Amino acid sequence: MTRKLPGRATRWLPVGVERVPSRRTVLRGLLGGAAVTVGLPPLEAFLNASGTAYADGCSLPARFGLFFWGNGVLPDRWIPQSTGQGDEWSLSDQLAPLADVKHLISVVSGTEVRVVNEIPHYSGAAGFLSGIAPLGEEGDNTFAGPSIDQIIAAEIGGETRFRSLEVGAHPGAGLSFNGPHSSNPPETSPHALFERLFGAGFTAPGEEPVIDPRLGLRRSVLDAVMERIDSLKGRVGASDQIRLEQHFDGIRDLELRLARMEEDPPDLAACLRPEEPILDEAIASLSQRNRLLCDLIAMSLACDQARVFSNVFTRPVDNFVFPGMEDGHHRLTHDEVDPQPQVHEVMVQIMAEVAYFIESLNRIQEGDGTLLDHCAVLATTDVSYGRTHSLDDFPIIVSGGACGALRQGLHYRSTTRENASQVMLTLIRAMGILAPEFGSGDAHTTEGLGAIEL
Amino acid sequence: MRLSGPAVALLALTLLAGCPQPMPDITPEPPVLRRLTAAQFHNTIGDLLGDDLYIPEGLEPDLRAGGLLEVGASKAALSPRGTENFEQAAYVLAEQAMAEDRRGALVPCTPTGPVDSACAETFVSEFGRRAWRRPLTDDEVQRLTGVADQGASTLGDFYGGLEFALAGLLLAPEFLYRIELGEADPTGAWARRYSDYEMASRLSFLLWNSTPDDELLDAAERGELTQEQGLRVQLERLLTSPRSREGLRAWFADFLQLADLDDLYKETSVFMHMSDTLGASAREETLLTFETLALEEAGDLRDLLTTRRTFINRELAALYDMRAPARDGFAEAALDPDRPRRGLLGQASFLSLHAHPVSSSPTLRGRFLREVLLCQDLPGALADVDTSIPPVSEEARTLRERVQRHLEDPSCGGCHRLMDLPGLGLEHFDGIGRYRASEEGVAIDASGELDGIQFDDASGLASAIHDHPDFIPCAVQTFVRYATGVEERQDQQDGLDWLSDQFALRKHLVAELVEDLVTSPLFRQAGTISEEASP
Repeated sequence: MTRKLPGRATRWLPVGVERVPSRRTVLRGLLGGAAVTVGLPPLEAFLNASGTAYADGCSLPARFGLFFWGNGVLPDRWIPQSTGQGDEWSLSDQLAPLADVKHLISVVSGTEVRVVNEIPHYSGAAGFLSGIAPLGEEGDNTFAGPSIDQIIAAEIGGETRFRSLEVGAHPGAGLSFNGPHSSNPPETSPHALFERLFGAGFTAPGEEPVIDPRLGLRRSVLDAVMERIDSLKGRVGASDQIRLEQHFDGIRDLELRLARMEEDPPDLAACLRPEEPILDEAIASLSQRNRLLCDLIAMSLACDQARVFSNVFTRPVDNFVFPGMEDGHHRLTHDEVDPQPQVHEVMVQIMAEVAYFIESLNRIQEGDGTLLDHCAVLATTDVSYGRTHSLDDFPIIVSGGACGALRQGLHYRSTTRENASQVMLTLIRAMGILAPEFGSGDAHTTEGLGAIEL
Repeated sequence: MRLSGPAVALLALTLLAGCPQPMPDITPEPPVLRRLTAAQFHNTIGDLLGDDLYIPEGLEPDLRAGGLLEVGASKAALSPRGTENFEQAAYVLAEQAMAEDRRGALVPCTPTGPVDSACAETFVSEFGRRAWRRPLTDDEVQRLTGVADQGASTLGDFYGGLEFALAGLLLAPEFLYRIELGEADPTGAWARRYSDYEMASRLSFLLWNSTPDDELLDAAERGELTQEQGLRVQLERLLTSPRSREGLRAWFADFLQLADLDDLYKETSVFMHMSDTLGASAREETLLTFETLALEEAGDLRDLLTTRRTFINRELAALYDMRAPARDGFAEAALDPDRPRRGLLGQASFLSLHAHPVSSSPTLRGRFLREVLLCQDLPGALADVDTSIPPVSEEARTLRERVQRHLEDPSCGGCHRLMDLPGLGLEHFDGIGRYRASEEGVAIDASGELDGIQFDDASGLASAIHDHPDFIPCAVQTFVRYATGVEERQDQQDGLDWLSDQFALRKHLVAELVEDLVTSPLFRQAGTISEEASP
């Protein structure tokens, strides 16, 4: 496979910054396992749009990702017995599948999600991911404010082709919210995700972008649509104004994306157009679907198509019947008699998916480290103990170095029932965002969780 | 002349039916934008551009709120992903619409060259009125004609340019939302009313689940839809058209939450009859039952609960252990009068949706009966309680025996009795609605109770719902929510009660309910635009 080197000046390179000649290296295959020769551009090329280096001298942009599974854990068998750094602690029964990435994760236990636990599963999901209790309307299950991925996307999502990506193997309506009744529906089909990310409109490093006169015309149409939305906004009620603003923002993002399609692609060493995944009908298991989605997400980050994503493996109250089980997961958590051996087995299967997800990011070499070194990743769920819907001792895994902002290889157990929102504030700040606070009411915090920060 | 008691009552009833009292005054809802649902988008595109077009699906999921997708459509914002999908879909549609074999039907003039502003203007103005459900202003026509001209000169192709004007019409908020904001009522009867063009949309989406046709827009242009007489003429036309079945089916499907059958999930190792098509078949059975009995034969809506007539295909016949009434497709079949299966509650749609992937669920079924069919409020599930159900044992083999704990434990029983006692009446039907006489070798006991009415099995439960005083008001409330897209306010209760009374006088005929609502202030009177955001 040959590539053109070097690429032409791109939006990554501000005017006046001179490109240093590239070095070549051989990277072990990313998706197919084959050896490929790719150009490794100089680290100096990785500057943001204003020409400054990324946070803390990190030469690559920080990315944020959420991995979510539904229905909690069995706390007694999920939380590690010992605490500390490195060899000081050991994985629990249920965390055992994470053995290969233990040095890359921090397990946080003992914190609590401080919202009124009114709507089973959704109070926890909304309370942790947005820091606010969900709106308690009948069957709506809508968040009252933006979820953490969208809080972060509002700050850093504008730099990339996609503001954020939402996927999930069995996600229901998803958990990515811009605000009340405004959610970002997840993609469940690896093939459709591939088409969206790497189909028409994607230019791999070194390729010439397609110049298409229709792109300019499509942007003119979007201009006209934005004028219509603006003129309508003055005539509608306050709630509708918010809805129309969200619609307007979506159109403006789309217009920016069309403009970028005519630019040269960023010259990113780790970016390779992945192979087209198998069609949905050929997918044999939930695990296989998740892993295909994880691989595509990882490559989309390496290609800087997006810097923020959420992956909802299973949704709150999900009743999927996992392989080998006699009943759906949600029902097992409530109905199975102690010690809930089937729930335990399901947890082990889910943790194996968390491990794959982390490995998919760690497998890609980027700069002097891996893609995961430039990510902050949160893996969590909607309740602590599935049977009782409890929100104390909440299960949290943080992974990735976030360009040196986060500690790894740690089990931190809060002995003072700290506010789980502190983890969120740490993650937001790890993106280089100067956020003063996260959450509201009892869940409000102005402090991060120092124990997992570097 | 002296009249006996019953005769007076009869006379009063006749008078009431003949010249009914008008609906009491209500406080109208503030107007809200309603996003087209997925089905409305599909139907509307088919009406505007031709139903043999390829119409992209799954652009933006519908949201359920207040029990209905139609209420969610008044709350949901359009996601960035949805915006992206609609943009792509607009060009997929525009390209097909402007293909050589089709453009003649849409473009009423022949262009004189690649750029022909006059012809583009004619198209924008004529097609725009149908797409936006109102005439365009001159400025609006000029703006989109400019887009068409720019495209035509860039591409050197008149129809290529029109694709962009067409896409601009389809991506505009005037197309994607139903903009019914009301106007000052010049007659002074109310402060504000829905305008003629807004009434055209309200009528058309309610009755046809699609965009107004030219005749309806013409009636709006003549100012007829804000007049009761003109409104009744068009209502009659739409209601007697075969297309009204589509619209009223959409209401019934939303009421019973049948869209969820798209995601029906059952473990095939437990349920041999489960298939990728079962959900859609089950939905069609329920909708055909409604369409035939309540609309075509103008039967009492309540009788859908107790009827022994149903409409099934081969797949459902196999599930129900019956002979297939037709080789292909659906046909009417009679249920055995001696068996518990009858009416909507004996259909696979209800029985499979409200159950677990591997088993039935008296709790889920009972909850649906109360919350959706009777509009009763139930306390939410509790956090911090042990919910485990004991496994099958010598003492407790059937699910009824195993959930007995829920009923006896005081912390669970209060709420679980409300759900489980009616729900247990359906235990003869497993998690996808197949009949079973026994479970784990023990004969099924399907006796139960609903608000003081004892019954022996599903057939008795069906009668209990049929006669329940909450069923008709609940159906009426759901219909009003569906038609208006908003949850009713407390001070509209008098209006709803009036509609329920009228519905009873009119023998629960759905067409009469439609007429009573459409001609009432609940449908025609507009509130003031709200300055405050509601959640």
